[in-house]
Parts: sequence; C-alpha cells; structure tokens
Amino acid sequence: MATRLAREVYVIGVGMHRFNNERLAAAAMADVAGMQALEDAGIGFPEVGALYNGYLGGGLTSGVGIAKEFGLTGIPVTHVENASATGSCAFGEAVHAVAGGRVDVAMALGFDDMNRMGGLGRSGGRRMGAEDVMLPAAFFAMWATRRMHDVGTTAETFAAIAAKNWNHARANSLAQRRADHEVTIDEVLGSTMISYPHTSMMACAAGGGAAAAIVATREVAERLSSGRPLVRVAASQQRSETYTDGHVFLGAVIGPAQMTRDTAGDAYEQAGVGPDDLDLVQVHDAFPVEELVYYELLGICGDGEGDRLVAEGATRLGGRIPFSTDGGLTARGHPGGPTGLAQIHETTLQLRHEAGARQVQRARTGLCHMAGAGSVCVVHILQRTEG
Amino acid sequence: MGAIQVPTDPRLFRLAEGDECRPSLLGSHAPESNLYFWPRRLRCPVTRSAVTDIDLSSEGVLYAWTFLYVPRMGNISFGDSGGYGVGQIDLPEGVRIQAPLLGTTDDWQIGSPMGLTTFPVGRDDDGNDLVTFRFEAVR
Repeated sequence: MATRLAREVYVIGVGMHRFNNERLAAAAMADVAGMQALEDAGIGFPEVGALYNGYLGGGLTSGVGIAKEFGLTGIPVTHVENASATGSCAFGEAVHAVAGGRVDVAMALGFDDMNRMGGLGRSGGRRMGAEDVMLPAAFFAMWATRRMHDVGTTAETFAAIAAKNWNHARANSLAQRRADHEVTIDEVLGSTMISYPHTSMMACAAGGGAAAAIVATREVAERLSSGRPLVRVAASQQRSETYTDGHVFLGAVIGPAQMTRDTAGDAYEQAGVGPDDLDLVQVHDAFPVEELVYYELLGICGDGEGDRLVAEGATRLGGRIPFSTDGGLTARGHPGGPTGLAQIHETTLQLRHEAGARQVQRARTGLCHMAGAGSVCVVHILQRTEG
Repeated sequence: MGAIQVPTDPRLFRLAEGDECRPSLLGSHAPESNLYFWPRRLRCPVTRSAVTDIDLSSEGVLYAWTFLYVPRMGNISFGDSGGYGVGQIDLPEGVRIQAPLLGTTDDWQIGSPMGLTTFPVGRDDDGNDLVTFRFEAVR
C-alpha cells in the first residue's frame, strides 16, 4: 500500500549543465548545475539541510569534494549510486528526507561522464564469461525482436520513436544531440546497425553532464515562490524486482519489465491520480523499444496498443500525451548520474510553463520514470499547484 | 592430445562427462515452490525455502535473439563475422538463460530448439583451454 508522503514536498529549484560529449570536468559541470538550482530556488547553500550526490564514475569522495565548493556548512552529504537510476534515487532520497522530517530543504545533485567509466559488458582484464555479452544494446534488442514476433512491431516504429525524440531535442539547448534539420525515420533506419533491430540513432547518447534539484516543505516553498506556481512531488516510489515467469537472474540488465508496471501502480496510488491525468511523461528510453513498452506498462494504453500511439503521433509534442519532451535519453542524453535529475528539471520547467518552444500546453501533471541496471525502477509524479 | 578444458566459471556450468554430448548449466530446485533457478541460489527467492543443486536441461527453445554488431566480446575477436549473436533460451524447467549464440541470423527462429555447447575464450595461467558456454540451433 503506497501511502501519502508524511509531509508535502515541493521542487523549489532546478539547474542543469548541458549534456555533451566534450569530456568536460564532471566537478565543474556539477558546480554549474548546483549553483543554478540554488539561484532558481532563491536560497543560499546554508539553507540546504542535506545533500545527496548521484554519480557512477569518479572517485569515492567526489561528492563530498564537490560539496566543499558550495560551502562548509556541516550538513550530511551522501553518495547515492543505482546505475542509470542514480539521479532519480538521489532525488528520491532528498524527497524522503524532507517528507520524513529530517530536514526542511534537501538538494539532489547528479554528475557524470559515461565516457570515463567502465560499464556493463566491459570485461576489462578479467576472465571472459557468458554474462559479459549482455551489453544493454543486446538486452533491449532482444526485447525488440520478441515484440516484433509477438505484436508485429516494425523497425519503422522503433525509428519513429527515436526520430521523435531527436526532434524534441532540437528545441532543447541543454540536449547533447541537436540536429540541424528535421530527423526522419529513414535517417534513423539508415544509421549504423549496432544490435538488430537497433541502429546507432536509436541508441541513447552516452556522454557527460550534470543536473540538480532542490526540494523543500510547503512552508519553505510558499515563502520563496514570489507568485510562481509551485511544483509538488505527488509521488516518489522505488522498487526492485519480484519473481516473474521466465525470470532471468544473470544478465537481465534492468530486471523484469513488470517492475515498471508495479512501481507506476504504487506511484499512481500515492499521488491519487491515474494515467489519464498525466500531461507529459519522461521515461528510460535508452532504446526505443523501451519507450514503446512503457506506454503500456505505465497504463497510457492497453497491452499491444503502443504501436498505434506512435502511428497516431500521440506521444509527440502537440500529441495527446507527449513522452521524452526534452529529447529523452535518446537525444537529450544519458550521462548516468544526472539523467534522472534532468527528467525532474524538464518536468519542473514544463509544470511551471517555462519550457519555451517545447512547452506542453496547460501541463499540470508529469511523470518521471527511470530504470537502472541490476534491478531498479523509480517513478516520480510531479504536479503544478498555484503558489 | 590437446590441453585440458576448464570452464571460465565452474559455478555456472560444467563440461560434458562420460557419454554426455552436451555440457550442463548448474541450477537449483526448490521442492516447496517447485521452481527452478539459474545460477544456483542460496534459497528459493519466492518462498525462502531450501533448494537443492541440480543440472538443468541442455536443450530448450529460443525466446528472443539479436545480432550484436560489435567485433569483440571482451578479449575475443569475431574477425570477419562482424559480431556475434545473443539469445534468451527457455529451458523445460521454466528457466530463461541469456547466452551467446553459435551460427548466423538465418539459423535463429523464435520458438526453435537450441542446445548448449561450449567455445574457447583463451587460456588460464596453467595453459589450460578456458571455455564458456553458448547455444546452437538443434537440427
């Protein structure tokens, strides 16, 4: 049973360093994102009661090292790591620190550069084992070929989802991949094949970047709002896997797909909303088959009906329920630690109606979903309230 | 006589013995839940009841596959083939295994029978041939 958060929690500030493939120093990007979030919130670092740093690469002490640049205020600084869901989990920890009464203001900061990391499928110098073959590209490609067999999904549908996200990123100055033209389905299909049926333009953009979010109690949020609409965290849910038919214990990369349905169900219950109440959604679209499957697992449509949503353009900006409005992992990018916080950044801007050319009209409720290697699923639901 | 073959990870599989024609994956069976698992578990993850060690079936059916256009897997080069196949194979015990596939894309059809085999991946410090496992289409 998912109960309401013990205290209401609001996003009072967000910041982000442009995702990129330029091998910039993660600490410098983290400083930019963190200082932007503080400025956006209208507070100084001494008002932050706890800091949760999300990163996969870097050294053990990277987080506390970066915190020293914000100020030696003595607050608890904690390193959070949960693979691709790291930033989402850091945000969740900040939310629960406020909801549970530990602090009135908490900050989540994600930073990374995937180019500097080892990762799944990279065996390094150790002995080669069968589990080493399960690169995420292969794992999700098997989702794709099985779906093609079961539902009749075509490579064109996968390409249409990827092209949509590339084109969403054209309106996002913080995105890693910004095409100078309208990306077409044929262009996506014609890019380098990496793992059948996935091409390079369908694969998420690995790179570097940073993002931050600051959350606080309603009292703090109202004091700082200056008439700006508030963004409430209506749900914060996280799950690991439960047993499913055909359960894969070794090499399942992100665990069973059912985790998304279960975690979203918890989040809907906690927020008191359903899929029909959502105005926009961010998901772990590392490959387009994921976004397609998540349409169904999040309850946006029935099982096997996701292809129709794509054909109708329902998940494009301007459609019934836009997904990956900032370009998603596909084009905004996926550095690791900051990815989930970029989703919070985007959703907060959308709910404040500050998203510029990619603004979803009358957006009031947004859902953020991330999956992480090992077996992690995180869902947050944010809602606009008038300050 | 060739070098001795050694599994890369003897916790996951063993080589064929005696008149067996295929290697075996090393799994667990939980009598209380009648569920099977691979790799071996310390206890049943559903009922927390005791498990026993078993050898799983060496043949199953292909659930999903892909061909990965990456010329290397760790230290192994696939040379002119341009990459390698990967699949998920459902064993009769209800266990789904992920593993490399032998063959080309024409060999793999979802639902078709597959059998466990091994392939060399290098040598250990004692000069033994290290082998890991993969599946091949059963003709």
